[in-house]
Amino acid sequence: MKKSTAEESRSHKAQVVVDRLGKKLNRQIVGSMVACVHCGLCTDSCHYVLSNPGDPTYAPAYKADRIRKIFKRHYDWTGRVFPWLVGAKTVMTDEELEELKDISFGKCTNCRRCSLNCPMGVDFATMNRMTRGLLVSVGIMPEGVATVSKDQWELGNQMGVLKEDYLETLEWMEEELQDELDDPSAKIPVDKEDCAVVYSINPREAKYDPRTIGDAAKIFHAAGEDWTMPSDGWDMTNFGLFSGDDELGGAVARHLFDRVQELGGKKLVISECGHGYRSTRCEAPNWAKYDVPFEMESSVETMLRYVKEGRIKLDKTRNSKPVTFHDSCNLARSCGITEEPRELLNLVCTDFREMYPNREENYCCTGGGGAMSMSEYTPRRLKSGKVKAEQLKATGAKVVVTSCHNCVDGLTDVIRHYELDMEVTQLVNLVAEALVIEKPARVPTVVEDLPLAGRRIVVADDEPDQLLYLATVMEDYGATVYQAASGDEALTLVRKEKPDLVTLDLAMPGRPVTEIYEVLRSDSELEGLKICIITGRPEMRELIYQRMETPPDGYLDKPLSEDDLLRGVRKVLELSHQEV
Amino acid sequence: MVTAEVETEQIQLIKGDITLLEVDALVFYAEPNLELGSGFGTAISIRGGPTVKKELERLGPVGTGEAVVSGAGNLKASYIIHAVGPRFQEENTEEKLKTTILNSLRCAEEAGAKTIAFPPMGTGFYGIPLDLCSRLLVELVSDHLKTSASLKEVIICVQDAREFEPFRKELSKVTG
Repeated sequence: MKKSTAEESRSHKAQVVVDRLGKKLNRQIVGSMVACVHCGLCTDSCHYVLSNPGDPTYAPAYKADRIRKIFKRHYDWTGRVFPWLVGAKTVMTDEELEELKDISFGKCTNCRRCSLNCPMGVDFATMNRMTRGLLVSVGIMPEGVATVSKDQWELGNQMGVLKEDYLETLEWMEEELQDELDDPSAKIPVDKEDCAVVYSINPREAKYDPRTIGDAAKIFHAAGEDWTMPSDGWDMTNFGLFSGDDELGGAVARHLFDRVQELGGKKLVISECGHGYRSTRCEAPNWAKYDVPFEMESSVETMLRYVKEGRIKLDKTRNSKPVTFHDSCNLARSCGITEEPRELLNLVCTDFREMYPNREENYCCTGGGGAMSMSEYTPRRLKSGKVKAEQLKATGAKVVVTSCHNCVDGLTDVIRHYELDMEVTQLVNLVAEALVIEKPARVPTVVEDLPLAGRRIVVADDEPDQLLYLATVMEDYGATVYQAASGDEALTLVRKEKPDLVTLDLAMPGRPVTEIYEVLRSDSELEGLKICIITGRPEMRELIYQRMETPPDGYLDKPLSEDDLLRGVRKVLELSHQEV
Repeated sequence: MVTAEVETEQIQLIKGDITLLEVDALVFYAEPNLELGSGFGTAISIRGGPTVKKELERLGPVGTGEAVVSGAGNLKASYIIHAVGPRFQEENTEEKLKTTILNSLRCAEEAGAKTIAFPPMGTGFYGIPLDLCSRLLVELVSDHLKTSASLKEVIICVQDAREFEPFRKELSKVTG
């Protein structure tokens, strides 16, 4: 088809943006494009507007119209027929795209407060994110956004942390933890397979705030958790959420999800980060088109669960300064996590006071899930923090807690700029501070952690001391043990309890053990049963091995050390050699 | 790892970190001003040391499609080929990417390299589609190896399963 004059003079980048806009339209976006009646209610919701009352260019409706006019010109019949009537206008030059960048990245943090308060359901934040994505796809973005995006694309984390530095930080934190607790069993396990919890973090923690990793490790240790951190695919943040780049969003998510699956993790715990939680838990499965087969939860939920399950004890008097809570936009407004942090705060400090407004109506910290990366907009961002500063000051608190790493930095900037007498911390720090750890530190006693957990074993021996010894060792390692003093007793118990394994002494009173063995092997109902001979008379071994039946699954000589017994039994139960 | 034989030479597809490879030359998808920047540039700056950046100051700027060679500092590689490819859906992307890959191979031959490692050229941040990149890279490298002077082994180093799969498919065409 012949290009129109306008198309011919439109810059290549502008043409790509126009074309790509059409591919990004869905019901939610189109609804937001057409539903605005310019009532102005969004204006009072925006912290940029509230902090810049004389400047209408910050109004969400005004900002939305910058992209809406392009939509109307190209994808809405009203704009195609009556462009002058509905304010439809195309985009022609790279300079116009730069202006769009300034609005999209520099005059909005995508905090979604206006989206929540729009009576027409216009979701400006989603429109704005889409606009950012269109601009990024043609290379128009703030330098900081480019830097962070490239780091995450190529190094797998958005702060350019190299693998060796990350692993060194974990080792360092492990050493600190062991020193603090005077307990060498306190570990930060890396790439441990089949754990209950895979813990993922924000790279800011490895780069600037490793104490949050150490504190989390302390909590996992105290709770006796079976946990690990991946050596690769450990970044749970996703800059695609901020930059609007769905391809980056999908790639990052797939990398993380694949890694959890490779490790055989049962649950992915996302450290205290609003951006990370929203992107990983809520948005990423869509970006990556990934059917996530494991559970995901915020570490806020994890810590609260530990308290409720009695796995950790807290002494709230250790956190006695007046504390307030800042709800992260991503965690509270977009994901509905508002009550869990408050419940935990009331358990972990003595003086918690609300900030107003709060929960989903809270004002943005100015960090906006990534806005800190754009230094050219820092003066604007700090000016927009006026409303946040007033909110903080009104609480009278000395500590502001937030469950988001971007908010930690955003609030720190606001506090410094407006000279407030406050410090910023996170729940993980408060919980670690309040932890009551009785020495020696609690060792993992979760049943699933023990090497014979879930195994059912019948032990047969006519020597009471031997029987007690064998049974006790196996029970100590998690097995359920049934004791028999003769072959017949063993046979009865095996038929009744259907265990995984029976151990037989060869010289017991009553029916010969060879006969018992033959019965056990020929019983079709006991097909999967493992049999291990444990005897102090090795010369009798041939009595079993020369028979027609399948030989025993294992053979152990008495006397047996605890280690030899455990190793032998696990081998018979066909656990892998690596596990043994 | 997947290996394809071309005449007596080899193309290997591996998962890993390209900046850690012990090869004669590794390819870095560069900006026209040759600033190392972030991503793999961060890894080269930190692991390679300051000499790479210093050397680059006298080599740039470089036009799209062209490639230049620098030392690799403390990296295990001997050289870095800084290849300036097309970016962000610019016009004639396919033709420019082709030129970039061919120029990278030319630079490797001129340096006498026996082994060279390529990343997925321009995919990810610069927005080159993985399908396009994998098709061009495997095609051009296979053709080149049939008549190569010094190159004996070409490694395509990807990060994860998402990147691995398109290259594996293209390599399977080479091996038949």
